[in-house]
This record gives sequence, C-alpha cells and structure tokens, in this order.
Amino acid sequence: MSFDVLFNQFLSGIARGSMLFLVASGLSLTFGVLRVLNFAHGSLYMLGAFLTYSIWKWLLIPVYGFYVATLLSALVIAGIGLLIEYSILRRLYARGWPEQLLATYALILIITDTVKWFWGGEFLSIPRPEPFTKAVFLFGFPFPSYNFFIIILGLVLVFFLWWLVYKTRLGDIIRAAAHDRDMVSALGIPIPWLFTSIFVLGAFIAGLSGAVTAPYGSIALGMDIEIIVECFAVVVIGGMGSLPGTLLGSFIVGQVYSFGIMYKPELALAFIFMVMAIVLIIRPWGIFGRPER
Amino acid sequence: MKRLAILAVFVFIFTMILAPVMAQAGTPALKADTKTPAPKAAVKADAKDPIRLGAIWDYAGPCYMLSESAVQGIKIAVDEINAKGGIIGRKIDLIVRDTEMKVDVGARETKDLILREKVHFLIGPCSSGVALAVQVVQAESKVLRITCMANTEAQVVDKFTPYVAQVVPNTYMEAIAATRFMNKKYPAAKKFCTIAPDYEFGRREEAAFAEEIKRLVPDSEILYQAWPKPGEKDFTSFITAIMAQKPDAVHSSLFGGDLVAFTKQAAPYGFFEKIPFIALYDLPVFVALGNDAPDGVMAFGRGCFFMDPNPKMMEFVDKYRKARGAYPDSWAVQAYDSVYLLKAAVEKAKSSDTEKVIVAMEGITLDSLRGKFTIRPLDHMGSVPCYQGVIAKDPNYPFKIWKDVVRVPGDQVWRSEEGVREVWKKTGVTR
Repeated sequence: MSFDVLFNQFLSGIARGSMLFLVASGLSLTFGVLRVLNFAHGSLYMLGAFLTYSIWKWLLIPVYGFYVATLLSALVIAGIGLLIEYSILRRLYARGWPEQLLATYALILIITDTVKWFWGGEFLSIPRPEPFTKAVFLFGFPFPSYNFFIIILGLVLVFFLWWLVYKTRLGDIIRAAAHDRDMVSALGIPIPWLFTSIFVLGAFIAGLSGAVTAPYGSIALGMDIEIIVECFAVVVIGGMGSLPGTLLGSFIVGQVYSFGIMYKPELALAFIFMVMAIVLIIRPWGIFGRPER
Repeated sequence: MKRLAILAVFVFIFTMILAPVMAQAGTPALKADTKTPAPKAAVKADAKDPIRLGAIWDYAGPCYMLSESAVQGIKIAVDEINAKGGIIGRKIDLIVRDTEMKVDVGARETKDLILREKVHFLIGPCSSGVALAVQVVQAESKVLRITCMANTEAQVVDKFTPYVAQVVPNTYMEAIAATRFMNKKYPAAKKFCTIAPDYEFGRREEAAFAEEIKRLVPDSEILYQAWPKPGEKDFTSFITAIMAQKPDAVHSSLFGGDLVAFTKQAAPYGFFEKIPFIALYDLPVFVALGNDAPDGVMAFGRGCFFMDPNPKMMEFVDKYRKARGAYPDSWAVQAYDSVYLLKAAVEKAKSSDTEKVIVAMEGITLDSLRGKFTIRPLDHMGSVPCYQGVIAKDPNYPFKIWKDVVRVPGDQVWRSEEGVREVWKKTGVTR
C-alpha cells in the first residue's frame, strides 16, 4: 500500500470520527452531568436533519440558506430538548436506570412516529452548500471539502466544550456537579436550572450534528438508530461523560472502521465492537472515564 | 455491583438496538410456535363472500416509503376491480398489516392475517429477510403469497414452496441482466469491485454478479468487495478503499437512501468520471438526488414509466398521479401487477380455493404494466423483465431519468429449469 492510499483512508476515518464526535459529544455531556443515558439523542439528531431539510426548502435562500436552516433547526431542537427535560426527565433523576431507559426509549418511538407522520417515509437530500461542493487535493488525491467542513466543525466544538467545561465558572459548577451533585446543591447552586441548561446544550448539539449530516448523506428514517449504536461504542470506549474520552473514542472508532473496511470489509463493524469489548474487559469505565462509586 | 449493573444495561441496550438490524441480516429461524397445526385458512366460502386480500408490508426504515408506494398500487388495482364488479362477482376486501421490518413481527402478523382475518391471499413484503419469515408461516398454513418487492431468489429456488409466486425479477435475474449490460458497455473491463448492502438481498446480487462475470470474462478478477450495513450513511471509507484498488468497473446493488448517500459522497472524488459504475438508480433516488444524480452512469431497475413507457403504463401513471400527486415508482407498478395476477388466476380457476388458484396460475400469461410475462410452472417465477439504462436529464421531468433503455425479458436471464433443480438437490426441495 502506497502512502497516499493509506493517508486517504486515514482522512476518511478522521471524517467519520468527526461526525461521530459531533453526535457523541452531546450524548456524553448529558451523561457526564445528568447521569442520564439519553437514548433519544439519536432521535433528536434525526429530527434535526429532517427539520433542516424543511426549513431549507421553505427559506429558498440560494447560497447560504443551508447555514441559516442549520442554525434555526438546532435552535428548535434545543427548544424541544427544553420541553423534554422540563416535562419528563426532571422527574426521573431520582429514579433508577431502568425508568430512565424506558422513558428515553419511549421518546425514540414517539419521535420516529412523529417524523413518519410529518415527513412520510421518503428519503430526502440537500445538495452540498457553497463553498463546499467540490474537492480539495492532497498529495494529488481528491478529498471532499465538505468533509473538511465537518472536521473543522468538530474541532470548533471540541474547543468550545473544552473552554466551557475547563475555563468558565459554569464549567467549574458542571464538573463539580458531575462529581457530587448533593454537595453542589448544598452550596446554593440551583441544580435543576443547571441540568436543564446542560440538556438543552446537548439537544442543540444533536440538532446541529443532524443538520450538518443532511447534505453529507441522505436524510431517512432509521438514521437515529444507525448513529446511536456507534455513538455508544464511542462513549463506552472513551469513557462515559469524559470530553477527551469522547474525542479519543471517536478517533478510534473512525480509524478502526475505516481501515477495517480496507482490509477486511466483512468484519469492519465487528472490529469496532471487539475494541469496545476489550476496553470493557480491561477498563469497564472506559479509557478516560472514572469508575462508578 | 454497580459496574455489573451498568454492563447489564449496555447489554440490554445493544440487544434492543441490534435486534432489528439482525432481523434483516439473516435467514430467520422460527421457533416452535409455528408448529401449531396448520389452520384451514379459507373456510368454505360462500360464492358471494368478498375475497380477502392481506397486504403485509414493512412500514419502517428504508422500507417505509417502498411499502407506501406498493400499498397505493394495490389500492388502485383493488378499487378498479371492485368498481367493475370484483373478481368472479366477488368484491375484494383489502387488509393492510405492518411488520415493522422485523422477522418476528412479520411472522406474527402473517399468522394473524391468516387465522383471524381469514385472508385468501397475501401480497408483500418489502424486506427479503422478513419475506423468508413470512414464507415459513404462510406456506405452512397453505395460503398463497405474491411477492413483488422482496426479491431474494431463496423464495422461489432454495426454499421453494408452491404457495409463493414472484413477479419481481429475483436477485439472480436482476444481477445477471445488469452484469451483461455492464459487460456490453465496457467489454474491456477485467478488474472489478463490488459494493452492496450486507444482508440477504445484497449478498445474493453480488454472488450472481461474480458467477456471471466469470462466464462473460473468464480472466476477470474481483479485487475487493465492500459490505456496508443497510442504512449506512457514511460511505467515505468505502469509496477511498475502492478507489485505491483502481478497478476497471464497480458493480453495486445499493439502493434507496443508501445509494443517495453513496452518490453524493463519491462525486467529489471524481468517482463517476474515473470508474464505470452500475447500481439500482430508480425514481425515488432521482427525486431525492435532483441535479446531484450523475449523468452517464449505468443503472438497473424493475420497471417504472421511464423504463417502459408503454400506453398501459402511462395510463397507470395518470391514475396514480391523480390519487397521490406524485409519479409512481416501480414498487407501485409491481404491486399493481400482483393484484391483476391474482385476478387472472382466480378467474381461470373460477374459485378462490388456494390449490385451484395455484394450478390455474402455473403457466398463466399476464398482460401487465410491464408487458406480457408468464409464471413458470416449475418454480412460480414470473418471466418479468429486467431494465437497464444510462442516467440522463430530460426537460419533461423535474428529475433525471434514463436513456438508452434496454428491456431484458425474464426468461433470458433466469436460472434454467435444470439449474433450479440442481439447487433443489442441495437444499432438499422435491418437486
């Protein structure tokens, strides 16, 4: 294998990893603070993609319509997140895992059926927006510029979340709450308000990632489950609730899948879960996670 | 303890998520509950009782839209027939059921249609995986099913039962015809790659491709085969892996949303300029892709109006557009044909009795929307046409369509009777 071929496969893996990171970071953030595994995160992502399509169609702004639609739909999804947290999840924090799982699983069914009812079962597609329609050349080999857009967006999100969690006062509270929520509450910090805002942020990220996948592939029913399976692999490998863990997990899953496809395509998907199984055996809390007390 | 609990929760999540994926992937193994004594489906019916038609379809995932189209096609046919007084003086009652594209639900709903709704005939489903599960149940209950979308060859060959007839080109026919088309366009191509969804349908199409290309080009070579999971949305790694092999041509059985995603992701690489490519580019894919559909790329399909613009087909297009406000795809066409096949067979048998209808159906010739085809008595495979063409713009339509269309009658590409018997020897079918 020549260098350019391997390099290209590596880049494909990075692109896939960035996409996974976009989705998984929201999932991981929510879990890290709220300790709720939001099963419906993928559904919010799917809803974001469908909404982007409709808003894009309705706006009819020629060149930059997609970016406006992306922002609007992410905001709408954030609003839906607010609704979900306020009306459902808030009541479940004190309950056990099974209730939370059932509630968020129910949300998957509700959102899927809503999408079916509203958009039907058609698969939709948005053309790639300017200026990302063409390819750029690296070592004489083309690489789609939209993939760069996704990679850059992933990097921006990493820095934003890192800044938010490690450099702001809110971040201090978030980390403290993730560590010991009773203690934080005892210090007079309104935990319900904190939880709502984190969940809304997670939903916003889900909507945003759904929106940017819209021009990438196709928008269709089932994309929620498709992504959430791999996102779980990402967060299990990296460590639930850890930002660097999610980044590393996305990178690993992206690369394992990409090179798996090259060398043993039949087993590419299995490789991901083998890595996950190995991590679970050696470090059940993930590479950057911390053991449950 | 807590660690164990978390592990248990993960196991739960993965089984829940993966269950439907697995459901499509393999051949179903039905549990003992199908061993219940075969019910007599059609209770001795009064000659004036309606004929009960069960539509069993997969309203989920990639099958959702296809199922909607098919049921619409069935409804148009049923309404037409009922308006003209029904079949042998009996109206048709249509009962629609959803399998959720899961094999267990498919088996359960089929059983329910047969036992409770007492249907005489079945049409459906979409997924080949679900179809094989449905087949186990309806064959045991001795209820006839017309399969017009799920096209795995296993339904009529490997797991033959007299209670199934197929009016969609099966995986073998479709791939043989597409391979010949590609070979004719690019006779010098010797090195190939394939990319197909990793389940029953994709596996069978690519196996038939490998078989046929070896016959046509004996020194040909398959360099690499990619198997994305059904519903894959990111094909970048597959595309770079294929391009790294520098093949002369790529055969694919991607379809629907997966093909839309593949096409959009492959275009920036210059994939379609560099490598001849064929896949299941049909109407819904063109509607979704709009101008992103690549001109000049080869396509195969199962028969919609731009593949076979005969007067009967165009008349159906008008009816369908009136009912739904959209152009009908090939799924609606085949479902419509299925109802008329049943009508022809019941009229010939002068009865809705399953065994008599099957006898009447064997060798019957139907003047369908896709021209005439005949049901082969041996395996109940219809000699339905396979279509190939090249993607092109047309000012008359708001989406791209085909040009240079080739129509291959089914009897030129289907497995010969000897070939079918050979497979039967291996799978233990006696007939």
